[in-house]
Amino acid sequence: MFHRILVEEWQRALSVMSICIFLSVFLINLIRVRRMSQASITQLSKLPLEADDHA
Amino acid sequence: MSIATAAPELGVKTRIEYDDAPVRQFMIASIGWGIIGMLVGVLIATQMGVWQANFKTSWLTFGRLRPLHTNAVIFAFVGNMMFAGIYYSTQRLVKARTASRLLSQIHFWGWQAIIVAAVITLPLGLTRGKEYAELIWPIDIAVALIWVIFAVNFFWTLARRNEPSLYVAIWFYIATIITVAMLYIINHLSIPTSWTHSYPIFGGVQDALVQWWYGHNAVAFFLTTPILGIMYYFLPKAAERPVYSYRLSIVHFWSLVFIYIWAGPHHLLNTSLPGWLQSLGMVFSLMLWAPSWGGMLNGLLTLRGAWDKLRTDPVLKFFAAGITFYGMATLEGPLLSIKSVNAFSHYTDWGIAHVHGAALGWNGFMAAGMFYWLAPRLWGRRLHSVAAANMHFWLGTVGILIYTAAMYVSGITQGIMLGATKEAGTVLSYPNFLDAVTSTRILMHLRALGGLMYLAGFIILAWNIWRTARGAQAVNGSIEVYVPEKPATMGLGGGFFNAPVIYTTLLLVFLSGWAALPTLPSGLSIVGLVATAMAMSMHKEFTKTSWSAWYERLLENALPFTALTTVAVFIGGLVQIIPTVMISTANNVEGMRQIPYTPLELAGRDIYIREGCYNCHSQQIRTLVGDVLRYGDYSKLGESIYDHPFQWGSKRTGPDLAREGGKYPNSWHFFHMRDPRQISPGSTMPDYPWLFRDKTEIAALPNKLAVQRRIGVPYKMMTDAEIQEACATQAGLIADDLKNAGAEVPPEREIIALISYLQKLGKSEKVTPIESMQAAAK
Repeated sequence: MFHRILVEEWQRALSVMSICIFLSVFLINLIRVRRMSQASITQLSKLPLEADDHA
Repeated sequence: MSIATAAPELGVKTRIEYDDAPVRQFMIASIGWGIIGMLVGVLIATQMGVWQANFKTSWLTFGRLRPLHTNAVIFAFVGNMMFAGIYYSTQRLVKARTASRLLSQIHFWGWQAIIVAAVITLPLGLTRGKEYAELIWPIDIAVALIWVIFAVNFFWTLARRNEPSLYVAIWFYIATIITVAMLYIINHLSIPTSWTHSYPIFGGVQDALVQWWYGHNAVAFFLTTPILGIMYYFLPKAAERPVYSYRLSIVHFWSLVFIYIWAGPHHLLNTSLPGWLQSLGMVFSLMLWAPSWGGMLNGLLTLRGAWDKLRTDPVLKFFAAGITFYGMATLEGPLLSIKSVNAFSHYTDWGIAHVHGAALGWNGFMAAGMFYWLAPRLWGRRLHSVAAANMHFWLGTVGILIYTAAMYVSGITQGIMLGATKEAGTVLSYPNFLDAVTSTRILMHLRALGGLMYLAGFIILAWNIWRTARGAQAVNGSIEVYVPEKPATMGLGGGFFNAPVIYTTLLLVFLSGWAALPTLPSGLSIVGLVATAMAMSMHKEFTKTSWSAWYERLLENALPFTALTTVAVFIGGLVQIIPTVMISTANNVEGMRQIPYTPLELAGRDIYIREGCYNCHSQQIRTLVGDVLRYGDYSKLGESIYDHPFQWGSKRTGPDLAREGGKYPNSWHFFHMRDPRQISPGSTMPDYPWLFRDKTEIAALPNKLAVQRRIGVPYKMMTDAEIQEACATQAGLIADDLKNAGAEVPPEREIIALISYLQKLGKSEKVTPIESMQAAAK
């Protein structure tokens, strides 16, 4: 019933590029996280638990 | 700070006393402002059901108090709570005292001064007319300056840290600081016309996009990411166990930060916003489901083995409920971003239910949990009453449920009634807008009741913490740490100009080129993709280097990490805003171009904005059957291009006004503004007696018109005398017309200017593509 598309030619690429960029960021991030050492993960995850005299 | 012992292999052992005074200050401020913000919320909720609660006083009307409520809750309540949490947890996570007490104090008192300025100016009607961005330009500059002081203190503390690693909560704080600064500055770009007034540089669709890019990400980076950082610190503390999955928290951070920034256009679905942007906003909003639920599950599963404590520990009770509300809100948000769902829900109370579920449930409960955990530690004394804290929890929970249930029922009722048609979709089932208002009246009373219960809970919290602190000595935390030798820093150059980043960028460019470009460049992109992959493989083979070392070092270097976060949030903003700003406005008016306002109409528009009419009335007819049948042809892009600021609105408590001009005679508006119920029985709109008493501010118009010309509105040059004459002539005609209809008022009164503006709404000229191209060439 209604027409509401307003696109100049070069903008068509943006949506596809956006998805590509995100997927790349996500996959690289996932790979890096998987490859982090267990010791490093354990040490980082315990940081909030280190007690000061408030804890 | 005193040196105790020295151990060469670990560094020098030092005792550090944390600076917890700012934590106490921000916490007390958050509770105080929170109660005020909620009190204003209860008042305006009451006004929805009882119009007399507007008190016929200009500074107590819904239109002026609603911005005060939203700003108080967002920037005063959550803002101060966020600062308290950040100052407390950052010191402990990096094992260093906050870098500068002076900067902390400037930050605290500066922020409170900003809030006081907002409390004074907003009820006076001094506003920019954009939601959550209403504060006038001098206050905006103060906000930016204080934010920079906060950032300097934060990054300075990181630079002095004695813990090499950056825990994930610190990442969330970094993202908050960078992104809020970027959003706030861009959305507040304005040109002043006086010390208390300005016009935004963006107009129409551009202003709409920038506003909701900001508005949505204010939710993301002011109300979500800092609270997630607080969750990742305080929840393990309270549960006495590490976060369920640290790996998941890393994926949560990068995915959330990267996706959130793209989702703003979901606030503008089915409007004049270009279709590709609407689709982009919808798709990225749906993608938000994954990281949001990843974070929510990570939070809840941190309570593994500690669920039994929920029966007795109010802190964990608040945290568990808060995270659950986060999960519900982030399930609902993407759902509401689906175009067809949004067509039903937008402009109704469904949106109000959604934001209050998140604000009261997520922000409010996380704040309460944090305060109950902090107070005994900050004053070295047990919480005065655990029973009172539990009562607060149940009052708050039941209050939220009553509030949101009322708003869901109201929103769905409004969606059904306002969109319903009969006779094969050619006639509205409920042509009178007020049918939807009167049908939901009882729900407005329930809403006020739910809000009142929630407020009562927070008053109990204030009493409980006051009793805990009363007579107690303030206690600063301290810890013994080994100050490690400073590792070699990476620097910005090392962060970006290295093999992993360069290869990744090349892969990304070629991948995008393959997916987006026409045949030949697309083919070349595949070649580039393969060549880069081969070069990367050969590089690794010959140099035998481990690229994971770069990533590991990045996590210990705040500067390149911050730069990387900045790039992540910038990309989304640039992709959306640059094309919209660059798009040739004159070529893309969809056959209709707005006629600039006359000086009197511009003065009337400023009165409309001052009174906050946009809080209840939209000016955007969506591409939906119900909208078009009720209000007329759908709004075209060109019909608001000269509107600085745009006034599309986000909620319809009253009808849309995009085509209001000429729909009724001048006298209709006169009587309607004087007593809305005389014209529209059942209306909840306030009376506006001061508009019939106060004079229109004509003297300010020359400056205003000059600024309008500078931001691109095609006004011809006029002398001050010509402006005054134009106003007097138009006002005289309206006053004469009113007199003939039995409504006598002097022409210089504000009601005349407002009527002239309302009668101009929807008046546009038709243009052909050739005409619009000629206009662009000029």
